Amino acid sequence: MRRVLLLGSPNSGKSSLFNRLTGLSQRVANYPGITVDVASGPMVSLTDTELVDFPGTYSLEPISGEEAIAVSFLNEALADDNVCHVLCVADATRLEKCLHFILQVIRECQRHQKPVTILANMSDVIRDNQLQFDPIGLSEALGVPVISVSARESQGFEPLVECLRDGASPSMTTVRNWRESPNEILRGTAQQLAAKFSPKGDVLINSQLRLDRFFLSTALGGLAFFAIMFLFFQSIFTWSAPVMDAVESLVSSLGQAVVPLIPNKIIADFVADALFGGVGAFLVFVPQIFVLTLVIGIMEDSGYLARAALICHRPLRVFGLTGKSFIPLLSGVACAIPAIYAARSVDSPRQRMMTYLAIPLMPCSARLPVYALLIATFIPGDTVLFGLVGWQGLALFAIYFFGMLVALLVTGFVSKASKNKQSEQPFVLELPPYRLPTAKPLLRNAWNRCQQFVTQAGKIILAVTMVVWVLGYFPNSGADLGQSWLGTLGHFVEPVFAPLGLDWRYGIAILTSFLAREVFVGTLGTIFGIEGSEENMLPLVDHIQASGLPLGSGVALLVFFAVALQCVSTVVILAREGSTRLALSMLLSYLVGAYLLSLLVFQIVSVLF
Amino acid sequence: MKNASVAKALWDLRPGEAATVTGFGDTLSVSYQGRVMEFGFQPGARVRCLLNPGFGAPRVYGISNSVFSLDREIATAVFVAVNNPVEASA
Ligand SMILES: Nc1nc2c(ncn2[C@@H]2O[C@H](COP(=O)(O)OP(=O)(O)O)[C@@H](O)[C@H]2O)c(=O)[nH]1
Ligand SMILES: [Mg+2]
Repeated sequence: MRRVLLLGSPNSGKSSLFNRLTGLSQRVANYPGITVDVASGPMVSLTDTELVDFPGTYSLEPISGEEAIAVSFLNEALADDNVCHVLCVADATRLEKCLHFILQVIRECQRHQKPVTILANMSDVIRDNQLQFDPIGLSEALGVPVISVSARESQGFEPLVECLRDGASPSMTTVRNWRESPNEILRGTAQQLAAKFSPKGDVLINSQLRLDRFFLSTALGGLAFFAIMFLFFQSIFTWSAPVMDAVESLVSSLGQAVVPLIPNKIIADFVADALFGGVGAFLVFVPQIFVLTLVIGIMEDSGYLARAALICHRPLRVFGLTGKSFIPLLSGVACAIPAIYAARSVDSPRQRMMTYLAIPLMPCSARLPVYALLIATFIPGDTVLFGLVGWQGLALFAIYFFGMLVALLVTGFVSKASKNKQSEQPFVLELPPYRLPTAKPLLRNAWNRCQQFVTQAGKIILAVTMVVWVLGYFPNSGADLGQSWLGTLGHFVEPVFAPLGLDWRYGIAILTSFLAREVFVGTLGTIFGIEGSEENMLPLVDHIQASGLPLGSGVALLVFFAVALQCVSTVVILAREGSTRLALSMLLSYLVGAYLLSLLVFQIVSVLF
Repeated sequence: MKNASVAKALWDLRPGEAATVTGFGDTLSVSYQGRVMEFGFQPGARVRCLLNPGFGAPRVYGISNSVFSLDREIATAVFVAVNNPVEASA
């Protein structure tokens, strides 16, 4: 298959173009450097051609790990015979920051004898603001074709497709040779070209500046930041509650309808306990993951995240991090895996290491089912302020805050203990214009994330609940869980968890949660499903309340889950992106820390209440 | 005999003030100097300080239609010349 590379500086609209041209839903974000993985797909109008979306870089002289990866990918790809064309996306309204990169790309393509075409994106903004832009002049100056396009409005795609179909570039009046030009020459040329061809004036800045005056002002900006973060956490819990309730009642009524139809008692028990009890308990939390991904997406796409990174830079530096750590950390609230990849955009190796230390302590969405379950068990579901703010949401805010606090304390401590001023890098970040988020890609992205979550985590949960069910059901057909194989195993590990006031059932659930945290919920669901009588398939919360779990143990569990690194995938990715030593020492120290902290909390709460 | 312009560091510009980039200090590593030049902070370019969020936070600078935030470390190592207002209006 023929391949076409799509390159461009961050925020030039590369992913939007990719989505338009392939019909796929690559993640679009208004934050510099969000594409950290390479996506590819066949083009809609040229089905024999595969388009490859590269990570965005400002230059082929990398300063961050992310850029270094992009550059090495590019060198590999340019040597590939299947690659027949290179498209370089530029933001036509901000040519001055793209031109140096464009020239570097043209040079590399000429060295590898690949045709290259410049896509001057955002032609809709040029038109709406009556800016002057001369693609023909630019094309002559560069010696390669320049096509004006708008990813937002799908404008200018016909000449592009034609250009790709014909293979060779359309006849150029001038063909300039950049092959031997060193970077200094390119830089000087870029400046001259920018002066000549960049749309004049700064009308675009002024509208952006009005909003920045508010969001970056000392007092109001800080307030806005906390308000946005507060709404963020409330939305995850309070706003997704109705959908979660709907899923819960759907699962249980489905179970009640299906189970009586199964003639075989063992299979019926299996379906009721493992499928509806275990997997069903976890499905309830999918709406929250949807809302979480959606809200982060809205913040990214609107351009606010870059401002948040700026606001957080100084405070985060105190703890050995940088403003650029904010994006990985916030992504860590969804899932540690993309967050670890996103940390590539932190240019300083040392600050990247600190970011790695912090990411697994961020309250990821796999903890959410566990938190939600425990909070629902102990905290009443009342709301105030017309249902917008609830006690459960506040409790979630508190436990989330706790995780982040621990993260900062850890990085602060480690960075103080290994002080080394040399390796700290300065902070420079592009502030993209504020844009109205487009609903469709955001919704599709949230939907994809849920699907991923259900299929990936769902598989593990299904497997684990099946094993747990078999161990718990036999040898006595579910008559007495305490005498089952699972019970025997549980009593064996019980001494470890007894100091936290947890009985062996919770011990087993914690053990299985080291595969993935949310398995905890599935395992408990299965265990209580076996224990409970068949007629009443109670929600798991009611089971736990009925089991008389003390408040101290509940809080200790929350603390344990906030700190421990119970996720096989995170450990693997940490080892790959960082080092095996880092991953293993984090696994061990966070486990010991989690146990000791939860022990302490259990003692304190037990004395107080 | 009259000073045509006042030399300053980028960091010293007040919000709203514009200047022309003249050069770089040697506290800035070569790779970061390259990066800010690629962003458009080249000798001769017009920059404007747009915002100062305060509390030592990175400040916001505009070059034609692009906006960047630079922290103290970088912005004190970028030298600029502010045109004398008398000279400018002449
Ligand atoms: N007005 C306008 N906005 C665009 C266009 N293309 C992309 N954008 C917006 O620019 C931002 C960055 O786009 P993205 O595709 O993520 O850029 P990337 O970083 O180069 O992959 C997003 O907010 C897009 O909605 C366009 O042609 N016109
Ligand atoms: Mg992208």
